[in-house]
Amino acid sequence: MLLTSVAIIGVFLLVFAGFIVKDVIVVRRSAGKLERYSFKESLCSYLMLLPAVALICIFVLLPIIYSLGYAFTDYYLLRPDDVHFVFLDNFKDIISNISARGNVYNAIINTAKFVVFVVPLQIGMALGLALLVNKKLRGMGVFKVLFFAPVVISLTVTSFLWSRILGGGESGLLNSFLVKLGAESVSFLFEPQQSMYWIVLISAWQGCGYQMLIFLSGLKGIDATLYEAADLDGANVFLKFSAVTMPGLRSVLTFVIITVFIGACKIMVQPMLMTGNQSFTITLNYLMYIEGYTYRWVGYSSAIALLMTIVIGAITFLQRYLLKEED
Amino acid sequence: MKKFAVMLLTVLLALVLGLASFGCGNRENGENNSGENGPGNEQTQTPETDAGGNTIIEIMVHVAEQSAEGMAYKRVTDGFNASSEARDNKIRVRVNYQPRSTSATGYETILNGMLSQGNLPDIITFDAPNTWSYANSGILSDITDLISAETQEDFFEISKNTYQDRLYGLPIQESSAGIYYNKRIFREAGVLSPVENMTADDPWDIEMFEIICATLKNSGKCDLPVDLQLYKANDETATYLLYPFILAQGGSFLSEDGMTATGYFNSAATVNAFQKIRDWVNAGYTSYDASDVGFYTGKYAMYLSSGWSIPEIENQYASTLGEDWGILPYPQGTAKASATGSWSFGITTQASSPEKAAIVLKWLVSTDSSVTITDATGMIPARYSAIERKNYEAGSPEYVLYDQLVKTGRTRPGTIAYPEFTSTFQSVINALRNSNSASQVVQTFTSELQNNLNRYGK
Amino acid sequence: MNKCSSRKAAKAAGRCCTYFFCTVIAVLFIFPLVWMIVTSTKTEVQYASDLGSVRTFLPYLADLSTFFDNYGRVLTQYDIWKYAVNSLAYAACVVAGNVLVNALAGYVMAKFRFPGKSFISFIIMFLLIVPVETTIIPLYSIVHNLGISGTVLAVILPPIVSVFNIFLFQQFFYNISREYIEAAELDGASQLRIFFSIMIPLSMPIVATVATFAFIGVWNDYIWPTMVLPSPQPGEWPLYPIQAALTTIQSIENVTTGEVMASLVITSVPIFLIYVFAQKYIVEGIGAGGLKI
Repeated sequence: MLLTSVAIIGVFLLVFAGFIVKDVIVVRRSAGKLERYSFKESLCSYLMLLPAVALICIFVLLPIIYSLGYAFTDYYLLRPDDVHFVFLDNFKDIISNISARGNVYNAIINTAKFVVFVVPLQIGMALGLALLVNKKLRGMGVFKVLFFAPVVISLTVTSFLWSRILGGGESGLLNSFLVKLGAESVSFLFEPQQSMYWIVLISAWQGCGYQMLIFLSGLKGIDATLYEAADLDGANVFLKFSAVTMPGLRSVLTFVIITVFIGACKIMVQPMLMTGNQSFTITLNYLMYIEGYTYRWVGYSSAIALLMTIVIGAITFLQRYLLKEED
Repeated sequence: MKKFAVMLLTVLLALVLGLASFGCGNRENGENNSGENGPGNEQTQTPETDAGGNTIIEIMVHVAEQSAEGMAYKRVTDGFNASSEARDNKIRVRVNYQPRSTSATGYETILNGMLSQGNLPDIITFDAPNTWSYANSGILSDITDLISAETQEDFFEISKNTYQDRLYGLPIQESSAGIYYNKRIFREAGVLSPVENMTADDPWDIEMFEIICATLKNSGKCDLPVDLQLYKANDETATYLLYPFILAQGGSFLSEDGMTATGYFNSAATVNAFQKIRDWVNAGYTSYDASDVGFYTGKYAMYLSSGWSIPEIENQYASTLGEDWGILPYPQGTAKASATGSWSFGITTQASSPEKAAIVLKWLVSTDSSVTITDATGMIPARYSAIERKNYEAGSPEYVLYDQLVKTGRTRPGTIAYPEFTSTFQSVINALRNSNSASQVVQTFTSELQNNLNRYGK
Repeated sequence: MNKCSSRKAAKAAGRCCTYFFCTVIAVLFIFPLVWMIVTSTKTEVQYASDLGSVRTFLPYLADLSTFFDNYGRVLTQYDIWKYAVNSLAYAACVVAGNVLVNALAGYVMAKFRFPGKSFISFIIMFLLIVPVETTIIPLYSIVHNLGISGTVLAVILPPIVSVFNIFLFQQFFYNISREYIEAAELDGASQLRIFFSIMIPLSMPIVATVATFAFIGVWNDYIWPTMVLPSPQPGEWPLYPIQAALTTIQSIENVTTGEVMASLVITSVPIFLIYVFAQKYIVEGIGAGGLKI
């Protein structure tokens, strides 16, 4: 453990050193086209980065490297001292599971469904609320606080509340009203056709307050004279939105899309607490949790984590590329 | 500048508080942190001793200290520390309460963390179905030779935690489930007399169960004939309560060695038994959306639950149910089966002194302790001597459960892949919520289970 | 005249519409929380009889004698205040450390030029993407081998660093003009001094944001502290955080819906308070205009 850890951190530092040398050489070779690095500034940077980098190495990077490294082993949780290198076996298992339409397949479909719906919905809701709250009217501060309130409540608490609200039978809050009105009781979270969409709604409900604030600060940064100019040109609300607001929010939007996307790909707690392991709500991160902790196949679970990292990473970099190119 | 001052003050305050709490936290820094211990070095730890030179035996349990069960453990362990047994053998017991949280498997995660570092406590509690995997993985030590044959014989055969004919743990208590029924509703629907004096020797069969459900439903005296707790399909409760229905109708789950599901889990009898549960939902006998207090509040006629509901009814729902309730055994079919299996104590392979741990273990599962704990939990002792002491009145709810347990009790399937098995069982119950065809559901999940079982062979 | 008043009327109508719309959305947003708070004051019987009518959302005022019973039971039966003090102490350390360490790193990433920067950027992005749910066992091994398991350091150190917060600080510091720094440099101030006396005060909004979320993280954490801290022993001050006590309450048999709700309210209230205090900053904080990626 100690040796491996030192080795991993050593490799990290070596690669870092490699990049430093590369950057210095690139600047030298550029023959004055690129500004030289200041030795004092660089040294100062390294010193100020030191606490963060040291903590990241020990408490974030190392566990992640270990965990991803397990992807190539048959690590079984109850036998930590009996781990063998199995190369790509776990990945072969995953592929055969997908081709047999097993739970990995379900998890991919559900996660994709969640991401596709929640990203536009949450960002749309956040933008709408931001525009609403941004109106210069009295009392908007109160609404801002109310819209943000769900963000600060823990996922466990909101999941518990919503499973009581959407629960089936007469004990579910929503159903207790529906039954009074003469409707049939529906267990919303356990209907395969609806369940994932309820989870999308609940997640957007809880998350959008955060993005609302990001948009709000973006809106504050837009030059007010642009709106005045548009008013003088007789532009209507929609034209102002598309010609002034949206371009002004570009960089904020990029940040929001990327962070919401990454967060959405990692959804786990809501299906875990509200529906449990169901074929219609299992998500990749949740499956990873089940495989690693419930079934104890840490190796297999890590392989899923590694694949997730690669796919999310690829999409994120693609997003960054696309969103940047238009600048 | 003012804001900066506030900031600085906050940091200072934080540091002071941090150091203060660090001061109180430092004492527990165990001896096992030398850095060379790779993950899971299964070394035996040097016995930890207290100031008086007593060996400390650490016990980790899965319940909260303030719960009825936790307080009973406390009485038992305090009793040990004050006993001559402890004095003579120079042992002190320390209990670590790690309640299983409702959402996550907190207790297991903590156990796994300790395992990876070779610092497991001396004694742990574990759920009976985990016996195989814990024994197979070398977490639990073989205690066959540490416990006298005489003591072993006093426990119910079915309750002992054995794996490959060796003993790995002894039960704290036993549990059995039965069908709680509301006598008032039965009386009003005119079906009380056929069931009133039923015993485990002469139980009802599935057909009779269905007829009574139909009568209750048509009588209009209750909102729901029976609550099978199908809404608990996401945790072990579902497996524990419902597997006897499948076994009683001739169904099976896994081969003897616990590694084959095909041909067992998807056998015709198993499929038919699962189909029955779905049919009962269709017929309105039971529901996935039942309220968990429906029976307690007198709205439902029957309630499938374990013995832990007895104290709940007596303490909280005396106003609605009074004395007018009882427990019926499981309805039986071609085979006989009822639910068994509870949590047990076992000695880990990392115990500092297995002999001393065995002394404590014997105390924890002794006749006296069994009586103390089961008095608090309302469950059944797992040894004959304690049953004698409890002296259940024939016909009482506890007696029905005990009688059924020794006569028709069958354990959940033994397998090192128990998590996969129970998850499959729960998935089937879950899937039947939205599907009318048990055969299709069972086929799908059996092949998935078989794939998961095959992983162990590699 | 006429034209002017009709425009005024239209404006007033628009305003009314906005308020109405906002109110409807606000109700949708907070009704679960209102329900939680209201239910926490009810007995099981009151709760059950109110279900299905508007009274579900109204406190039961006819009989106030049982109003605080759930809280009384939850607060007095278990030494919950001790656990709350622990959580506050841990949170104070983590919040202070989190702000310092991550702000420093974000500052460097935003304002300094040094070789190897692209690599650090890459690492931050990579760590943002990796799912971390399965890293708890390796983390436990590391903490154990460092020799800090069993001490409060094991609870405080790991959550101090957060790549998301570094990312957030970095985005924020981009927008602070270099002129401030250059002016201070001309005065001969050291970089650390510039950071503490210029960057931190200028970025109080983002500090408030990060502090709030760091606090929430520590306050809500449960499994990790119970893994690394010794369990409470009779006669000694417990080290466990508040969530451990609340999980205990929720795992005890026979708790009523009202008691569970009361314990949920107790979990959420400090977060609410922190948030209400910090929200003035937070609102300006997150993003703060023109985020660059």
